[in-house]
Order: sequence, then structure tokens, then C-alpha cells
Amino acid sequence: MKDPPAGILQGDLQDQKIAGYHSPLGVTRTQSVTFRGVQVQSGFTFDQVDVAYQTLGTLSPRRDNAILVCQALSGTAHVAGLHPDTGRPGWWDFHVGPGKAIDTDKFFVVCSNVLGGCDGTTGPLSPCPETGKPYGMDFPPLTVRDMVEVQAKLIEHLGLSQLFTVIGGSMGGMQALSWAVHFPERVRVCVPIATCVSHNAMQIAFNEIGRRAIMTDPNWNGGNYTPDRRPNHGLAVARMVGHVTYLSEYAMARKFGRALQPPVNAADAEEALFAVESYLHHQGESFVSRFDPNSYLCLTKALDQFDLFEGKPPEEVLRRVKARFLVISFASDWLYPPAQSRELVRLLKRARVAATYINLETLYGHDSFLIQNPEFAKVLGHYLENEYGSGHRKDAAAAA
Amino acid sequence: MHPGIYQCVMEWVPEGARVLDLGTGDGAFLERLVGARHIVAEGVEKNPELVARCIERGLVVHQGNIMEGLDQYGDQTFDYVTLLGTFQELISPVEIVREAFRVGRRVIIAYSNFAHFRVRLQIMLRGRTPVTPSLPQPWYRTTNLHFLSTLDFREFCRTIGVSETRHACFNSRGAVVFLPNLFAEEVVALLESAR
Repeated sequence: MKDPPAGILQGDLQDQKIAGYHSPLGVTRTQSVTFRGVQVQSGFTFDQVDVAYQTLGTLSPRRDNAILVCQALSGTAHVAGLHPDTGRPGWWDFHVGPGKAIDTDKFFVVCSNVLGGCDGTTGPLSPCPETGKPYGMDFPPLTVRDMVEVQAKLIEHLGLSQLFTVIGGSMGGMQALSWAVHFPERVRVCVPIATCVSHNAMQIAFNEIGRRAIMTDPNWNGGNYTPDRRPNHGLAVARMVGHVTYLSEYAMARKFGRALQPPVNAADAEEALFAVESYLHHQGESFVSRFDPNSYLCLTKALDQFDLFEGKPPEEVLRRVKARFLVISFASDWLYPPAQSRELVRLLKRARVAATYINLETLYGHDSFLIQNPEFAKVLGHYLENEYGSGHRKDAAAAA
Repeated sequence: MHPGIYQCVMEWVPEGARVLDLGTGDGAFLERLVGARHIVAEGVEKNPELVARCIERGLVVHQGNIMEGLDQYGDQTFDYVTLLGTFQELISPVEIVREAFRVGRRVIIAYSNFAHFRVRLQIMLRGRTPVTPSLPQPWYRTTNLHFLSTLDFREFCRTIGVSETRHACFNSRGAVVFLPNLFAEEVVALLESAR
């Protein structure tokens, strides 16, 4: 087997510091916009919804180069560049930036924190207008479509009538699919990565383990916890389980094997941890410091409830789709296995949607789209470049 | 493959046709065909590195193994289905040609003629498995599973109920008209359902 390219074992950029990390974008800032009177599918109406978002690159004079990046479960609006306060890179800085797969020299990139999230967009931690206290468990159940409807408001606010591309991995892929189905006129290209049209029993099962860990933490208190008594242990365990499902056996063997983590002081030598244990503890602790437990419950529920077709026949739903598709899966992804992407592609093609499908042999599991991944970057970069170019050629031919 | 075969496909496929190319490789020929005939094309290829090359060329491509069928395509989605470099490597050519006719109206197949005189001589005089320009690999390295002649191919078409409406034969000197089963090394045929 070929050696992995340098850096691929570093993992994703979300919960670890990579020494000397350089982002060509420099410091990037997140903005916020407020929408009034937002109704969600459950029937609940928010008096106000704040949306945190980031834009990178420049909108073309024809306004035809916008790419909406949809975050995965633990993502944020801070997609690329360095955070002004923490100095940490955005979650997709490996693939978004000048000269990268999603090239900010060519494209105008928009990324927002989802409704129900906890990084600036309204979510369970936001104050409820009536009480002034966090919504907590009074926060209404959300759907992936609700997240997308709020993104659509943001896109209108930015003065965009059409998106060149909507792209996302995992939960972001579900959002991208919802865009193509519910806003067919506004999406030219859709790139769902490592995702599915609905969760299977195994995917629901892993999410339920995470939820139970949070809800059985004594500090959860029916969702009414306080900042100094949060269900941190439960959330950390949820993240640890989640993280294992995002990796592959190969990635874990390669990265940790049975290596032992050297103890911080010699007195603890007897309790030396396996490196993988120490890694998971760190992932859990780091996640707890930046994520709200109720938000985790809300978003994982939305994922489990997701059904792209909302009970209708797939062909009927997909017939209205106008976008062209690039569907990417990873052979080593056992959480969102390639068979789910192949089924999506089959349904698209049966509905006569132009869909390109590639199952990359990246060995690092579900996380393969979040890590440094040259094959992935190459395929994505070429596809976007070709689709953007062919759109221009067609427009020129139509004008002639 | 003989360049004459590609030339034939270029001529046989009309402007604007919908074409599915099975075993499209790095997509070089399909890209030429799209450019020359302005067709709506899609390739199927099992090797992800080659699929990536197709994406680089801006082709619509599907990573899949044609041996597992073409279930992702609806009936009569395409005007033409082409099988240009893979026919002899297919475990079950009957099923795949049937699938090709389910998803497309016409099928173009290229194959090597195993009854070429050089092949016959090598077996008869040297008593060895033949290695020729169109069958370049020795027996232990070849990816071919089936060995057929132009006569065999015609019988195959009759058996599965399709008719060969056009064909062209080639050897290293060019097109072959005289005694093709003896002198042709490579053949391309346009098939239509007899129904």
C-alpha cells in the first residue's frame, strides 16, 4: 500500500491545533444578519433568527460565481481563514482558499452556521424572547429543510438570485440535496459528499447513543442546565462515539496503533493511556468547550428525521431538479457507506439528472472530506472549474 | 485500438445523440466524440483514477462496474451505447448486451478477431497461444476472457436477437473488405434490436 501523503494523518481542523498552520486567507471574520418572523416546518414561528455567516472571495459582475458551503454537524460559519480571536483555521481551510479546490480567487464563497447551531446562529442556547433565558428544550424540533430555508433568506439578503454551486459533506450534503430539490431554479450545481437521502438504522443508532449520553448526564436537568453545570461528560462521550464513527480502522491503526501516550508526570506512569484513548478524551474536551449539548440533540434529531423525498416517490421529487450533480463518496466510509451515495446517484439518473459519481479510495473514513486529501481536492477543483467554464460557454452561445 | 474504429464511431453517431460509453477509460475518446458531434455523453468506468481523469476533462462519468449491470439508468435513456475496449473482458457478454439494449436504442461494439490468419498460423504451426498486435499479451497476462471471430460474433448477434446493421474491419494496413474473417484484426459493429 502507498504511503499516505504528508499531513493526511493530521486529521481535520476542528478540534486540534496544528503547529505553524498557515492559511493564505489570513484572518477572516464572521458577520451576522437578523431575520424576523421565521416559521419552521413544525409550525413554530421565531420572532427573530440571527444567522452568523462568512463570505470569502469576490462576487463576479454577473453574480454567477457564488458557492454556498453547507456545514456538517460540528461545523461553524467560520469555514476558512484564521479566526480573529483564537487564530485557528476554519473547518474547511484545507479545501477553501486561493488556488484551493474551492478557489476564492474565482468564486464567492458563503458559509453560515445552521439554524439550531451554537456558533452565532439562533439555536437552543439563544435567549427566548419571552423569558430572556435560553430556549433549551423549548426550542422547536428542526428539519434540514428548515436550515436550508434560513440559508435561502441569507442568500436573498446577499442579493443573489442563483447559486453556482451548493456543496457540503455529511449533514452539509443533506442541505445541498435539499437546496437542489426545494430551490431548483436557484442551484446550477450540487455537490453532495459522503451523505444520503435518509439515515439508516445504524446511523440513527449511533446518534441515539450520543443523545442518551447527554440526557442521562445528571447536569442535563431536562435541558435546563446552567453555564457552570452543563452536561459536559455526556456531550464529551457523544463526541467520542461520533469521532470513532468518522474514522476508519485503517486510520486509527495508522495514527495510533497500540502506542501509549507518555504520562504528563512520572507518578501517573501506571495509568498510561493508549494514544487513541488520549486522543478521544481530547476530542471530547475540545468539543465540549465549543458546542452546546441541546444543540447537539436538536441537530442529530434533524439528521435522523431527514428524508429528502418527504415520503413522496423519489422520481416525482427529483424530476423538478435542474442542477447538475457531482456525488462523492469514500470507499472507507462505514458511517455513510458508498452504497448510500450509489442509491442517490441511481435515483438521480433514473430521474434523468446529469450526475457524475466518484467513490474515492481515501482510507480515512467519513472524515475523508475534512482532511488534507489531494485526490478529493483535485476532483472537486476540476469539476467546479469545468462546470463554471461550460456555463460561461453556454451563456456566450445563447447570446450569440 | 485501431484508429479506424474511432473514426467509424464518429461517423455513425449523429449530431446531438445521447451516448453512454461503457468502459470509458480516461475519457480521451469520449471527449473527442463530444467535441466533434456535440453529443450528450456519459461514461462508465470502474477505476477511480480514470474516473478522476474523465472529470478533469469535464465529462459526465459514473464510477461503476458494468458487470454489475446498468441499474442506475432507466429504459431507453440513450440513443447509442458503446462498448469499445472491453467486450472480450466481460464475464457475461449476453447480459451486458441485453442491458445495453434496455438503456439504449443502438449498441456499438468493438472486438478483436481471433480468426485472423496470423493467429491461425501461430496455433497451427508453432502450437502456441497467439500473441499478435491486436492480442498483444501472453495468456497469463491477458485481460481477455473470450476469444471470438467475426463469424462467431454474427452468430452471437443472431442468438440474442439483434442485427448487425453496419460493421467495419481493420488490420495494421487499414480497412479490410476481402475475407474479413481471415484478414481483419479488429472489428467494430453497429447493432440494432431486431424487435
